[in-house]
Amino acid sequence: MKPVRKLLDYIYSIKLLKPFHPVIDAVDAAFFSPSELTEVKPHILDNIDLKRYMFAVIIALMPSTIAAVVFYGWYVLAMIVVSYAAGGIVEVIFALIRKKHIEEGFFVTGIIFPLVLPPTTPLWIVAVGVAFGVFFGKEVFGGTGRNPFNPALVGRLFITIAFPTIMTTFWRVPFSDAITAATPLSIYKTSHTITPYIDLLLGQCGGSMGETFRIGIIVGGLFLLFSKVADWKISISYIGSVFVFALIGNALFPMKIAPPVFQILAGGLLYGAFFMATDPVTSPFTKAGKWIFGIACGLLTVLIRSFSGYVEGVMFSIVIMNAFTPILDHLVLSIKYRR
Amino acid sequence: MKVEKRKFKGGYRFKNFDGQITDKIDAIDIPERVVIPLKQGFGNEVPFISKIGYTVQAGQIIGRDDTSVSSPVHATANGVVEKVVTIEVFGCEVQAVVIKSNGTKTWRVLDGATENWEELPTDKIEEILYLSGVTALDKEGIPTKFNSSVITPSDVENIIVHAVGSEVFNLSLSVLLGGERVHNFVEGLKILHKVMPNAKVHLAIGNNEKEWLTTFSKILDGIDWLRLYALEPKYPQGYDEVLIPTILKREFPHGYCSANIGATVLSVQAVLHVYDAVVEGKPLIERIIGFGGAGFKENVHAKVRIGTSLDFILKNRIKDDLEVRYILNSALTGDTITNLSYPLDKSYRMLLALHEDRKRYFIPFMNPGFNRDSYSRTFLSYITTKRAETNVHGEERPHVSCGFCEEVCPVRIIPHLIYSHVERGFIEDRLIDFGIYKCIDCNLCNYVCVSKIPIAQYIKEGKDKLIEEGLEPPLPDYDMKGVEEYLSIREKPVQAKDEEDETS
Ligand code: SF4
Repeated sequence: MKPVRKLLDYIYSIKLLKPFHPVIDAVDAAFFSPSELTEVKPHILDNIDLKRYMFAVIIALMPSTIAAVVFYGWYVLAMIVVSYAAGGIVEVIFALIRKKHIEEGFFVTGIIFPLVLPPTTPLWIVAVGVAFGVFFGKEVFGGTGRNPFNPALVGRLFITIAFPTIMTTFWRVPFSDAITAATPLSIYKTSHTITPYIDLLLGQCGGSMGETFRIGIIVGGLFLLFSKVADWKISISYIGSVFVFALIGNALFPMKIAPPVFQILAGGLLYGAFFMATDPVTSPFTKAGKWIFGIACGLLTVLIRSFSGYVEGVMFSIVIMNAFTPILDHLVLSIKYRR
Repeated sequence: MKVEKRKFKGGYRFKNFDGQITDKIDAIDIPERVVIPLKQGFGNEVPFISKIGYTVQAGQIIGRDDTSVSSPVHATANGVVEKVVTIEVFGCEVQAVVIKSNGTKTWRVLDGATENWEELPTDKIEEILYLSGVTALDKEGIPTKFNSSVITPSDVENIIVHAVGSEVFNLSLSVLLGGERVHNFVEGLKILHKVMPNAKVHLAIGNNEKEWLTTFSKILDGIDWLRLYALEPKYPQGYDEVLIPTILKREFPHGYCSANIGATVLSVQAVLHVYDAVVEGKPLIERIIGFGGAGFKENVHAKVRIGTSLDFILKNRIKDDLEVRYILNSALTGDTITNLSYPLDKSYRMLLALHEDRKRYFIPFMNPGFNRDSYSRTFLSYITTKRAETNVHGEERPHVSCGFCEEVCPVRIIPHLIYSHVERGFIEDRLIDFGIYKCIDCNLCNYVCVSKIPIAQYIKEGKDKLIEEGLEPPLPDYDMKGVEEYLSIREKPVQAKDEEDETS
């Protein structure tokens, strides 16, 4: 740690780099905890800060990330690096323009985003997607904490709409180089065949690179809930409502709506329910709001998967509910605190 | 006796911090001079009634005013009254009497005190309590006929005595109640019940104190006016505002005090002082305090005469090579002690010396964190000893609605919601609907904040601004007692703010 400290001190001493101090500050703050002491009561403070809060999400994503590397090779890492670099640049530019600190938000966006892409996505598309997501999903609204949409989702939606072929035809089955257009959900839609659950759990099927190894997602997700970084109400109500709606739907329209356990294990549902819907900034903060949010996400997911032209509905449902978040909170508050 | 289990929603258990106070107790000598503030604990400042140059005995009354809400103040050492000075204590000016001690340890016994206190008329017991100075203890004093609290003894419907160690550092029950003292304590409860015969007495013990719970359920058996509770030692269980809903299952009159609804909340030490006064005839001249925090060489308790300067008390007790912050009573809400010449008064329970840790740790967010406390479970410190120091542990960041403050808030309001309104300058009725006046300034929301936002400060600011705009806390729709007396003695938040402005 000494050499790092020395290097940073040296960089600080260079006058020419003064305009870049927000960047250097951010690096400094990432490497070293602050020396400041509490000025107001309480005298002691919790050891958590936003960096650790975000870092917990990264830890929770590790099983999926490692699985993706094992399944699809080092190209996955290249995608993550590109995503961090491109997102980081947007973040830095905005910090410099606003003369504010660099915010930790893209710690999470940078890794969450590539993991929802097919494992063969060209690197330039990764870069464009993450830059678009960070810019339009977050910065235009004023940065972390004010963004109504999850930046990673915005990026992914952008790619779905701007480069539709990538999201429909670029899948790969792990350990094989064959590119296929088939994912468990699309197979179900065309032929009503259910991929064996064990294959879904172990990730032996087509899908976004971080979404397929579902055991890893469940482990990471449970860690997030346990560590209190993600709110269990949203994850549980989301997954629970998919189960309930699929159960009812499958009984009523067995040709259209897939059975419940399959719905939960297929596609991006677990990933979305644990890692994307739970983003505290873009989901309601009221308790009732959280339940409604989760249940509505579940309902929308089942509906979109079954009755729309798209095979997957997780991303759309979360983005749609992100848009309703302020209204949900407002409604809950006006009922809770009515006069 | 049956033990009732109770707990409240929210709150946070501070567990396993370093610098916990051990069961040892030291006696601290009588200093050369004691400085006795004429306002101590609950009540107004009293006028000096002795004379400069007079020889006084420890336990002799030197300040008294029977007309205002107050309790007498005593000399705490045998010696000569040297002078009366104005001192500044935590930003307030107060008159104080300086006594040059002759070093002897005796004290003047209170008139009428006796082992057979049961035979004394209630009037006489009240008088002894008042004259002993015990009635100024704790948040609203002990009611007697002598204006020592805002209500009278017959107004009291409930006495709550709490021994729940819910703070980061707590006094040890074994030190306070060890040996004979537990029986003295029970006797003290009986005395209080005799003075306030309409009151039910509620004794609350932390559910981590299993042995004390068994002891009490044994020795209190058969007393029909008393109930025993086991409470979870979550902070801030010891607050009146939290004790009253947990124990009495009724709402606290937010903006007012527990006396206004006929409840008197007392600490273990106050009950012991009651016994000492009425049975042993000992006026309130000394306190047991605890030394908490890693700044102390040894974390012990100490028996100290009131009026002893903190300098004298702390001499040779602090680690030499450590920068420390001195704090009174509580790491969450206590005042910083900037001047060690302050004299100890009746309201001191604890002195804390916390490490001012300016060290910059390497990649803190990846540190496993074995010795770091967090409400979130992102640190591996579930069972290990954790450091209590004053570093901020992170930069202030935008609000991300993580929801931690709402989960821990003991009064079930949404702290971050009020914060975001105040921060944007929306000072309006809506804040009262959101429950801003329910906030008890426990500062827990600040503690847990992921973005290091001083939420509780914003809430306090919001309250002050509302009062400035004339939007006072609404009066509850039930009858309250002693409201005018309480309002006359309560410090006005707006005034306090003005003072700050002048000094800054
Ligand atoms: S300081 Fe007030 S708002 Fe914050 S947790 Fe305590 S009671 Fe709740």
